[in-house]
Amino acid sequence: MLELIFLLPFAAGIAAFILPTVLGRVLLLATAIGHLTLGVLGWTGRLTPLFEHFFGASPEGLLILMVTSFIFTCIAIYAFSYAKESELGAERVFSGCMLFFLGTMSMVTVAEHPIVLWIAIEATTLVSAPLIYVHRSQRALEATWKYVLICSVGIALALLGSFFVTLALDMVELHEPLSFALLNSLATQLDPIWLKVGFSFIVIGFGTKMGLAPMHTWLPDAHSEAPSPASALLSGALLNCAFLGIYKAHILMVNAGLGEFSGNLLVVFGLASMVVGGIFIYKQSDYKRMLAYSSIENMGIIAVGVGVGGVGLYGAFIHLIHHSLIKSSLFLSAGNILLAFGTKRVEQVQGLIRSMPKTFVSFLAGFVGIAGLPPFGLFVSEFLIIVAAVRGHWYLSVAIFVLALVLVVAGAGRVVMGMSFNEGDAPSGTGEKFVRLAPAYVLLLASVTLCVWMPESIYTTILHSIQAIGGFHG
Amino acid sequence: MASFLSLLLALAAAPLYPGIILKVKAFFAGKKGPPLLIKYYTLWKLLQKGSVYSTSTTFVFKLGPVVSFAAAVLPLLFFPFAGNASLFSFHGDVVLMLYVMGMGRFFTVVAALDTASPFEGMGCAREVFFSTLAELTLFAILILFYRLSGSLSMSSFFSEGNTLTLAGASGALIVLVIVALFMVLLTENSRVPVDDPATHLELTMIHEVMILDHSGPDLALIELGAFYKLFFYAAFIIQLLCPFSLPLSLLNIIFFFILLALVYTAVGVIESIMARFKMNLVPKFILTSFVLGFFAVILTMGVLQ
Amino acid sequence: MINFLEVILVLILLTVLLSLGSTRLVALVRIMALQGVLVSLTPLLLKGHGLASLGAVAFYVAMLAIKGVLIPAMLIRAVKSVSIQREIEPFVGYHASILMGLIFLLSAVFMTNSLHLSLPEGRALILICAVTTMATGLFLMLARKKAITQVIGYLMLENGIYLIGNALSQHHSLYIVEFGVLLDLLVAVMVMGIILTNINHAFDDVDTTLLGQLKD
Repeated sequence: MLELIFLLPFAAGIAAFILPTVLGRVLLLATAIGHLTLGVLGWTGRLTPLFEHFFGASPEGLLILMVTSFIFTCIAIYAFSYAKESELGAERVFSGCMLFFLGTMSMVTVAEHPIVLWIAIEATTLVSAPLIYVHRSQRALEATWKYVLICSVGIALALLGSFFVTLALDMVELHEPLSFALLNSLATQLDPIWLKVGFSFIVIGFGTKMGLAPMHTWLPDAHSEAPSPASALLSGALLNCAFLGIYKAHILMVNAGLGEFSGNLLVVFGLASMVVGGIFIYKQSDYKRMLAYSSIENMGIIAVGVGVGGVGLYGAFIHLIHHSLIKSSLFLSAGNILLAFGTKRVEQVQGLIRSMPKTFVSFLAGFVGIAGLPPFGLFVSEFLIIVAAVRGHWYLSVAIFVLALVLVVAGAGRVVMGMSFNEGDAPSGTGEKFVRLAPAYVLLLASVTLCVWMPESIYTTILHSIQAIGGFHG
Repeated sequence: MASFLSLLLALAAAPLYPGIILKVKAFFAGKKGPPLLIKYYTLWKLLQKGSVYSTSTTFVFKLGPVVSFAAAVLPLLFFPFAGNASLFSFHGDVVLMLYVMGMGRFFTVVAALDTASPFEGMGCAREVFFSTLAELTLFAILILFYRLSGSLSMSSFFSEGNTLTLAGASGALIVLVIVALFMVLLTENSRVPVDDPATHLELTMIHEVMILDHSGPDLALIELGAFYKLFFYAAFIIQLLCPFSLPLSLLNIIFFFILLALVYTAVGVIESIMARFKMNLVPKFILTSFVLGFFAVILTMGVLQ
Repeated sequence: MINFLEVILVLILLTVLLSLGSTRLVALVRIMALQGVLVSLTPLLLKGHGLASLGAVAFYVAMLAIKGVLIPAMLIRAVKSVSIQREIEPFVGYHASILMGLIFLLSAVFMTNSLHLSLPEGRALILICAVTTMATGLFLMLARKKAITQVIGYLMLENGIYLIGNALSQHHSLYIVEFGVLLDLLVAVMVMGIILTNINHAFDDVDTTLLGQLKD
């Protein structure tokens, strides 16, 4: 029963609202492990969907599901200690909404019906809004309001896009239950105007949620104001889910012979995001916001990768996996720094190397990874995307792409080096703790491992994911 | 024959209907209210009296009531009551009607200015401003009717074969027109929420303040003119409501005059449940009516031809 | 015979126009309630969209209840609790807003006429109506400062989208999916309402211009 993958977190979420807070933390961890198990079962194909009109296991969905599940497990361990030390006001709400969040994201990954996919993505917005407001400050309030409003409007436009696509199906006068599979099989008969309009709205809509510029404005606010475990989940898992929506629409476009249109659109949005991310990172004085802008930039890279196609597609999926692992690790490290220093201002955090050596290592390693330097996987993926772009003669795009990457490395490097090596006062807050360090290290380690040794099944799943739009040679 | 009859009936019955408004308002206030024929008594009373003229006024002041009365009666001659042919009609008579009414307003305003009272000048400015805006709405509606029926004459709008009613092919657009026209009715006839005919403070008046200096038969003419004007707009709305295609023209006429009471009741209800707008919100109200009319015009360009 | 579908669509346009011009928040919510009811009724008047099954009946009743009663009731409560009755100084004035409505309709008609979209017979007016409603919803969100008005703009946007989805497309076998969309909308308004109340507690107002601390 594939639906268990999201029903389990839902049930646990309801329980977390009722149970005492300490049990809630345990529940978070238990659900994470259970979810990971279910994910593995689903991965190996042992779970069949009960409502096959609505749900199904697609390779790209499974990939994102596994990433989400793995990250969530690490974050659950981290949150165990974080929730205690940061004295969250409404911990039940926090635990409950984290679980609901996991549930809705899992639902996104197994959705096979365009509207069900939409429902799940909109639900992720709604259940994650309380997570951002957990600290109950005026700034958190502002971030939450922007998040809910901007994302709701964006996703509403995606619904419009989905309706346009179904409208294209109506014109064929076929009365079978709607699903992505049906759409893909009939793709060539669908009215191209409706498909183009629909895809544009879907990119704008889910692009808002994914953080593509210029619809990204909610993202830095939400990611910086949310408590660190939630930020890690937003950045490492939620953005992928929104990407999944765009990707499924892109597959349909390619099948309909409109791959060039959708690819160009994705490249334009992707490059815009990269440039915006690069510029804002360069002048950033808040390290959590810096990480948020880096997410925007990385989502841009993924969009470009999918847009250029070919090897770039493979690169995009590799990038997605590694970005999730490294970025959530970075947010967890940032959470440690925030607990110790009590501030998100870069200039007030100094001398990490002496005062917090273990966090320093994970933070610096994360930076090296996110900057796209070996031995981390982002190096490989960015390289592949550039290769694909050059092969496709996207020379101008390559120039912008590389320029934005340089900007990001320079900007983020300035911030991270300043925080690590400058002389300064020792922190006054909570010190380092194994429970809060291990998850960050595990995530980084996972990234390195995947870079050195990619398991056969992951490799084939990625290949299956991109096969629909031509694979390596498309 | 039917045309004459209905016109005479209209001229005679126009002062009756405002009594309905008063009754409705009294009902909402939980009072008994004045008798239905109150307006006839008022007119009779005014006609008995003599007029008082200020020494500073000229012949323009005396001209005002007469011309405005004539301008209120004239449009009724062109109006096809209950689908009967109107007394006069030619291509473009609607435009003439609108301008005749404009002329009536002009003389009212000039007469008011002749008194050289500061209050009256203020009232004139408001009246002219709001009417100018309302004219936009009326012309938007005329454009629509021209597009729908291909003619510019009142009687051909409502003659047989034309379908400018709710039940017609473009009934949906007529919904917009009726709402817009009702808003114009409220504006042009100084009803709540645009203007409050019952107010006692000159500063807040729009129309009433302009006729403060008239008395006796002059005032009676102005009042009667106002009744005819209101009657004209109400009849216009009723004509749009249904086609009046009963076999006997007499039946049609009776039906028509009964339905007319509906519009007056609506006015009464609105006066009872709404407060008047602040003066700066009135243009917005009229603008809304214009946009409604224009909405309908735009829709004819699209799908509802 | 009166064409009820067209009348309802024109009435929706009327609510759109009124919403652009209304200054009082309670009036605005009432207009939204009316629009919700009208929008819910639209699919019933379409050919081939009758009350075919028990699921359909339940769905339409639920939709009418949610769009016409439940959401407006929540909004009215929000308006009462924040004790703000009017939107005095919007970003875009009311006269300009009303004229914008005109422009939206004009462009919607132009778009529908000139794009030569393949539409089912007689559905062009629905598209015009839906596009105008959506544009107005977006415009209200940008042109007004009060958080409540922005929520109302969002609802209007949803109404427009719904008109396209439910009235134009004919995939009606799966009411459970439609119901999910509706549920999302309901929860979204609830979440927005909760944040709204919190904004009111924190700032003593629901003016979104006060929310300007986070920027780069």
